[in-house]
Amino acid sequence: MAAELMQQGLNWLTLGCIYALIAVGFSLLFGVLKVIHFSHGDVSLVAPFVALAALQGWSASASGMSAIGLLVACAIAVVATGILGVVLDWLVIRRFRDAPAMMALVATVALGIALRESVGHIFPNGHNPQPFPRLIDANFNVTEGFNLPAFNVLVIGSSIAVVVLLFLLLQHTPLGVRIRAVSQDREAARLMAISPSSVFRATFFITSAIGGLGGLFYASYAGVTRFDFGIQAGLIGFSAAVVGGLGSMPGAIIGSLLIAGLDTIVQATLPDGASYRLVFAFLLVILVLVFRPAGLFGSVAVEKV
Amino acid sequence: MSGHAVLRGEGLTIRFGGLVAMDGVDFVLQAGEILGVIGPNGAGKSTLFNLITGLYQPTAGKVFLNDRPLNGLPAHRIVQMGISRTFQSSRLFTDLSVLDNVIIGMHCRTQSGVFDAMLRPSKARGELRQAAAKAGELLRSVSAGLYDQRGRAASELAQADRRRLEIARALAAEPKVLLLDEPSSGMDDRDTDALIADVRAIIARRPELSIMIIEHDMRLVAELPHRVMVIEYGRKIAEGSFADIRNMPRVQEAYLGRKATAHA
Amino acid sequence: MRPTFSDITIVIALELIGAILLRFFLLADDWRIVGGILLLFCAGFAVMQFRSDWESRIGDAFNRGTRLAVGLAILLVLLFPLALNGNTYALHLLIVSQLYAVLAIALNFQLGSANIPNFATGASYGIGAYVSALLAIHFNVNFWLALPAAAVAATAFGFLLGVPSMRTRESYLALVTIAFGVVIHQLLNNFDWTGGPNGLVGIPAPSLFGHSFASPIVIGGIKLPSQANFYYLSAVLVGIAIISAQRLHGSRIGLAWNALRADELAARCQGINVIWYKVLAFAVDAFLAAFAGTIYAFYISFISPDNFTFLVSVTIMTMVIVGGMDNIFGVIVGAFLLTMLPEKLRAFSDYRILFFGIVVILFLMIRPEGLFPQRLRRYGGSE
Repeated sequence: MAAELMQQGLNWLTLGCIYALIAVGFSLLFGVLKVIHFSHGDVSLVAPFVALAALQGWSASASGMSAIGLLVACAIAVVATGILGVVLDWLVIRRFRDAPAMMALVATVALGIALRESVGHIFPNGHNPQPFPRLIDANFNVTEGFNLPAFNVLVIGSSIAVVVLLFLLLQHTPLGVRIRAVSQDREAARLMAISPSSVFRATFFITSAIGGLGGLFYASYAGVTRFDFGIQAGLIGFSAAVVGGLGSMPGAIIGSLLIAGLDTIVQATLPDGASYRLVFAFLLVILVLVFRPAGLFGSVAVEKV
Repeated sequence: MSGHAVLRGEGLTIRFGGLVAMDGVDFVLQAGEILGVIGPNGAGKSTLFNLITGLYQPTAGKVFLNDRPLNGLPAHRIVQMGISRTFQSSRLFTDLSVLDNVIIGMHCRTQSGVFDAMLRPSKARGELRQAAAKAGELLRSVSAGLYDQRGRAASELAQADRRRLEIARALAAEPKVLLLDEPSSGMDDRDTDALIADVRAIIARRPELSIMIIEHDMRLVAELPHRVMVIEYGRKIAEGSFADIRNMPRVQEAYLGRKATAHA
Repeated sequence: MRPTFSDITIVIALELIGAILLRFFLLADDWRIVGGILLLFCAGFAVMQFRSDWESRIGDAFNRGTRLAVGLAILLVLLFPLALNGNTYALHLLIVSQLYAVLAIALNFQLGSANIPNFATGASYGIGAYVSALLAIHFNVNFWLALPAAAVAATAFGFLLGVPSMRTRESYLALVTIAFGVVIHQLLNNFDWTGGPNGLVGIPAPSLFGHSFASPIVIGGIKLPSQANFYYLSAVLVGIAIISAQRLHGSRIGLAWNALRADELAARCQGINVIWYKVLAFAVDAFLAAFAGTIYAFYISFISPDNFTFLVSVTIMTMVIVGGMDNIFGVIVGAFLLTMLPEKLRAFSDYRILFFGIVVILFLMIRPEGLFPQRLRRYGGSE
């Protein structure tokens, strides 16, 4: 029983970390852009496909699949996803910076669809699920009946590391100061000779790369990746960010843990729970928003008259 | 001035987090009176309007319209009870026609609901046609030039005409009290003169209408209001005729020191 | 004002040309013909873009000759199936297009008139379809009773969906509607009584005065395939949707929606109960969508959750954006275009969804007002 609980607790933390890597991006992008980037989930889930492509390239030249190959492929995928974010901003999203929020919203929903479908078409046989390897396959046998897979350790450890690094970056580096300046007041930042475009580029790179890491974990956790995982991952990440309060980093993380917790409980207790996971996550979102319209940690903006 | 209080505020206070934006302000607006509200930027003048119109709920204090408390009523109910306003940065429905802007101002004086619109279209349409005719008349009475542009989109209007349209839209709700938030902002002297004339024309036709007007332009403040109240840091620091308050040291210090002495 | 002779000519010529092009488009097998007609369509638009005086001339002609235009349009709709050489696939496309036109008009109340994001129109459509189908299968309720019942159920859902709109806006509200849409889809997929992923089968065809909609229409020796029944039925629904949309648009309610689209706070300060009007927009959307859903269910006689996904909602949204927000005619054109085009360009059908995504992005970047932009209201002789 205790082992069972610990196993579930471990699942919960792992899932929560994966969601958080994606949710943090939603939150940070919203803080800077003031507009929701709906396709962030789809961008993040491009990473596993890039990694697969890199792996296939690798195993064509070297023989078999090695740990180093996997590592290199993942690194390539993370960087490539970061660049993809910057490119999408340049191609599409920046054109909606001063447009009404509704337009940016619909445009990024459409962008997500286009991205998803492009992956499906470009990747060979991309509309079918692709098996995705576990990043580490070792197990630590802690006590009788309780296994601590190295994969979960990797996910939790690197998520914590990424979040801490992101926090340090935002609080203690010149780039972080610029990002925070632009997210507080774009015009004032411009007057202080901070170029918002370069801040947008940097933010897109950082959030997309972090999202890409989350995407790799997401696929690795599931054991497969699908071209349309992006929408589910995106909705969960977005929901987590919204539950926590858009623009709030701690909010995004706590929101992720809440949704992951709900997810774990539902899957462990309900028969056929997996098919209800989004239902419960969304019921949570709806409830939170009805009672706290700006999420748990968000502040309701008082409109200036 | 018929002398009874139309609008009354008692101890109006609002806090945003730790910031006290308005602190115990009392005021009285008599029927047919024009009350000027002046004070430095950020003093809380617009906040006062937002409290009266129900956009903000006061942390403490009460607003009464003809002795009926307005606290807790949503903004749209307060308009219906007879308080209309304009905005500092004009907030017209820019993608609609000038005439439509005024007709929307009549929203709380018209009735048709969904079922009328769907099942009794002649009634709903008749009502709207009447509203359109009335709106046209109102526009004409505010400004002939505006009336001629009634079919254009509001976004195409010149700045001065936008102000006029906003005032016309506010009047369309047949208010007892009209709140004007810096009507002269962004206007040159000639436009301001025209604005003063417009407001005079409006009150000449509506002797019972009471007006509160936030202003920075001291020429306008000297000409229009019967009384002026001065707000600084969310508090009322003076009240009286413009001639009286302009000489008060405290007021000069807070506000007039920089601007009006130059004007006067 | 009475239409002049040239008004009459313009109206008749344009409607006939439109009908003839639509016919050739529907019957074309060769993608080159399809492409040619599309090119014509684009050319027409380019002309309108550069010669706005022609555009307003056409607008005036239709304004003055409204009765003629409507009468001729009804006649053309009535006779159109005769010109299809009994091609049932063309009829099928027309039915689906008309149902999507209704859905697009429904969504337009929110997206176009009031600028409220709603990604759950597909769910309202699905609720309409499922409620009427369940009533028909389990309780033998006939189509004509199931129709209003479905509308009531979906409207209730619309109100429910509207509740969060009282407190949330924009991105948050969009997420709530997406959430509702996905929840409905997953519930339909998971419940036993909705048939799970397999859906519901064997929805009986409606009948009217003893004439079953499953049988062909025979009038005076002319025989039309059974799809024609549903063609006329959905045409009537489009008519109802247009009339409702026009009546609401031309009323105080339409104005209130437009006001809150332009500036919600200013709208409140004009005495508009913004919350009520938002919820109302959700309810009206759901009401009309349920009608479309019911007809769809009885027409296809088989429904499954996959007919009512998030993508369906996005497709409807695309139609509104492409056609022109708050322009009823534009929205209908958008629905027809985006329903038929992917079907006609079969060679590219794999790329259909990609195509939708890119079309939306391009439209929002290049022509955000859509093919047919909204027009200012006019009041009898005010100009």
